[in-house]
Amino acid sequence: MSTLTALMALLFFPGGLIILLVGLAYEWADRKLVARFQNRIGPRWFQPLADIVKLLAKEEVVPQGVHPGLFVTLPVIALSGALTAALYVPVFGLAPSYSFSGDLIVTVYLLSLLTLCTGLAGANTLNRFSLIGATRTLTQLFSYEAPFLLALLGPALAAGSWRISAIADYGADRWLILAQPVGFVVALIGLMGKLELPPFDAPEAETEIVAGALTEYSGRGLALFRLGKGVELVVGLTLVAAFYLGGVANPIAFFAKTLALLGVLAGLQSLLARLRIDQTVGLWWRYGTILALVQFLILIVWKGLAA
Amino acid sequence: MKVMTMWRDALDGLVKSPATQRYPFVRAVAPDRLRGQLHWNPESCTGCGLCAKDCPAEAIEVIVLDKKAKRFVFRYHVDRCTFCAQCVASCRQGCLEMASDAWELAATDKDDFLVHYGAEEDVEAVLAGAPAADAPVAE
Amino acid sequence: MASEKFVIPIGPQHPALKEPGHFEFNVDGEIVTDASVRLGYVHRGIEKGAETRNFVQAEYLVERICGICSHVHATAFCLGVERLAGVEAPPRAQAIRQIVAELERIHSHLLWVGVAAHEAGFDTLFMYTWRDRETVMNLLEGITGNRVNYSANVLGGVKCDIGPEQAEAIQIGLNFLEERTRHYLEVVSSDAMFLRRTRGIGVMTREDAERMGVVGPTARASGVPRDVRIDAPYLLYAEHPVELVIEEAGDLEARFKVRVRELFESYRVIRELLTALPEGELTARIPRRIKPAETISRVEAPRGELFYFIKSNGTDSAERVKVRTPTLPNMASVLALSVGHQLADVPMILAGIDPCFSCNDRMAVVKRNGDEQVWTWEQLRQYGIEYYR
Repeated sequence: MSTLTALMALLFFPGGLIILLVGLAYEWADRKLVARFQNRIGPRWFQPLADIVKLLAKEEVVPQGVHPGLFVTLPVIALSGALTAALYVPVFGLAPSYSFSGDLIVTVYLLSLLTLCTGLAGANTLNRFSLIGATRTLTQLFSYEAPFLLALLGPALAAGSWRISAIADYGADRWLILAQPVGFVVALIGLMGKLELPPFDAPEAETEIVAGALTEYSGRGLALFRLGKGVELVVGLTLVAAFYLGGVANPIAFFAKTLALLGVLAGLQSLLARLRIDQTVGLWWRYGTILALVQFLILIVWKGLAA
Repeated sequence: MKVMTMWRDALDGLVKSPATQRYPFVRAVAPDRLRGQLHWNPESCTGCGLCAKDCPAEAIEVIVLDKKAKRFVFRYHVDRCTFCAQCVASCRQGCLEMASDAWELAATDKDDFLVHYGAEEDVEAVLAGAPAADAPVAE
Repeated sequence: MASEKFVIPIGPQHPALKEPGHFEFNVDGEIVTDASVRLGYVHRGIEKGAETRNFVQAEYLVERICGICSHVHATAFCLGVERLAGVEAPPRAQAIRQIVAELERIHSHLLWVGVAAHEAGFDTLFMYTWRDRETVMNLLEGITGNRVNYSANVLGGVKCDIGPEQAEAIQIGLNFLEERTRHYLEVVSSDAMFLRRTRGIGVMTREDAERMGVVGPTARASGVPRDVRIDAPYLLYAEHPVELVIEEAGDLEARFKVRVRELFESYRVIRELLTALPEGELTARIPRRIKPAETISRVEAPRGELFYFIKSNGTDSAERVKVRTPTLPNMASVLALSVGHQLADVPMILAGIDPCFSCNDRMAVVKRNGDEQVWTWEQLRQYGIEYYR
């Protein structure tokens, strides 16, 4: 790959600019769907973009008592983590820009970077809502991360490779959702936990702790965090669709399947009441992890018997 | 114990048109009894000033220029009005009513909120300063 | 280790509160260990204002104490003034007052269900209850002409009649609402995810409720049979009574159930009144000046017992008007109940009493350095004597 195409892939397509815009579009679709589920009109199509433009144009207030360097760099790290993850994933139904054996694990860790940065950003400030929010964010990270990873490892095990493109190729021929329904559900719900969507929005529950870890953020920092979340939404949906829903071999399949998943996410968001953080943790460790683990073990045993 | 008990509402919401009113573009029909801007009918007014006395918001001034000739100017502060219709209930002659069609009363200039009812030359006389604005009202 | 307390301030400006009030919760991790409240941010001097206006004007002033239960304030005030003047509103006026009061209760309870659901992060329930609340608000607008401060009452009666046209509109609206309410009752009593946030949370035993003097639906959810409409009927509640809606559990779920079930009672009473609407005048003449006397007027607001003390002095304005709104007795329960609960439950417990801060704020105590914050009864009595000397 020449330097020019590499730069193109990083900055413009499929990484970089396009994925940011698609992330915003997906955010809009999510908000619109939730609004319609609630019999409301919902935002117009450019609303998330307008929000981001407004935030980017605003002054960033660095509050007293924070480490200014961390305060400014954390959003950048969060966004770059999400963008880097996008390079290893078959977004838009195209082959991943970069691929190596074991990139699945790297991608999952890169996706966690956003949450980690959010937690650190909250812990960096003196705001009491931020501190509680940071604690909750990190608590939640530790509860969904293990089952989410296990749910993604299921298809990897079936495909016999930890390379995303290989798993996607394997998943393209068969709907793994039928063979591993538990894994699919856990992955999807795990994605909701990752993105702090209701009912897993305890870390940013506005009626308790205002905006959680990001309470002190305004302007550019908040914009970058939100962009990162949009990218993560697309990347996460791509992973689940590619692994469990018969692959995303072409752009049409990609958009159809990810948007269908988004519809399910929006439905769950509007139908479930927010869980308390202890309930979230309990749910994941008592049910999510155990179920994912059981399925994982069954897969290993079945693989061993078949071999 | 059930989960997602509101699924039917959610599906309905998806198909039905949104409940949100598209207000500035589409105006809902106001009910007949809606209390909008106050209107004064000078025909039977005796200038007793009970409306002004009972008004909890002091939105009404009855300015008597000549009681015998029934020359009254009815000054109404739309911005102060709380639309309680006490004046309508207080008026024994029934010369006050609240219009159900005039309810978009916002204005950018405070002067727009000051409404004068009465014969033209009387209003001009009042505006020219016959009794000063905010002068004590006649009983 | 007093300096190492981690205090979460909620308010005066906070997304959980729709009105200003200030709460401080000491937390240990997520568990609340201590709670305190400071009220008085929206003290508007309404009692004093009511003394400087004549009775007619004061009615509209007290109506604005609460934006949600405005009619019930006006009714309490009118009933008191009418009693002072020795006048009774005609039966038709009383029936219309009662219909508007019950419609207002429907509006208030639906609003509360939405707010409380929002505190639990269940925005779909919030949006749908508020959508359906529009129905009852439109009904009230159709009857009185206003959506919020209805101003249906005048001293001695009511301003607006309920004719066949309005009666029919009310029937249609109630049919729709009754069906929806049945659905909401099912949601609040069976949705597993929602019950995780309400069942067993903020349990107030009957003893606690009686000790703290809790009123209204909050008390009835703890099994305290306390409802002014039944204990001391006013308007036509003696002829067309409501049944006491009571739950024993005392938790948030019970508070949801009590309020939603009360809606059915309201629907029933309104229908009953509409079919048996007495004929006759809408207003009785009432003198402008009222001889010196004093009276107490109690009504059941959507949030609980509303208390008015009115003293007249022979002029056309009141010597003293004292209001006690139901939030005040209920507020103590918030502080007592939130200790030991998770921080996440605190907004729910707070919303559970259906607080109305601006209704509440009659008196502001400014904390000065060295001032005692806890007063004995004797000190308080002495302060009162000194103040009015």
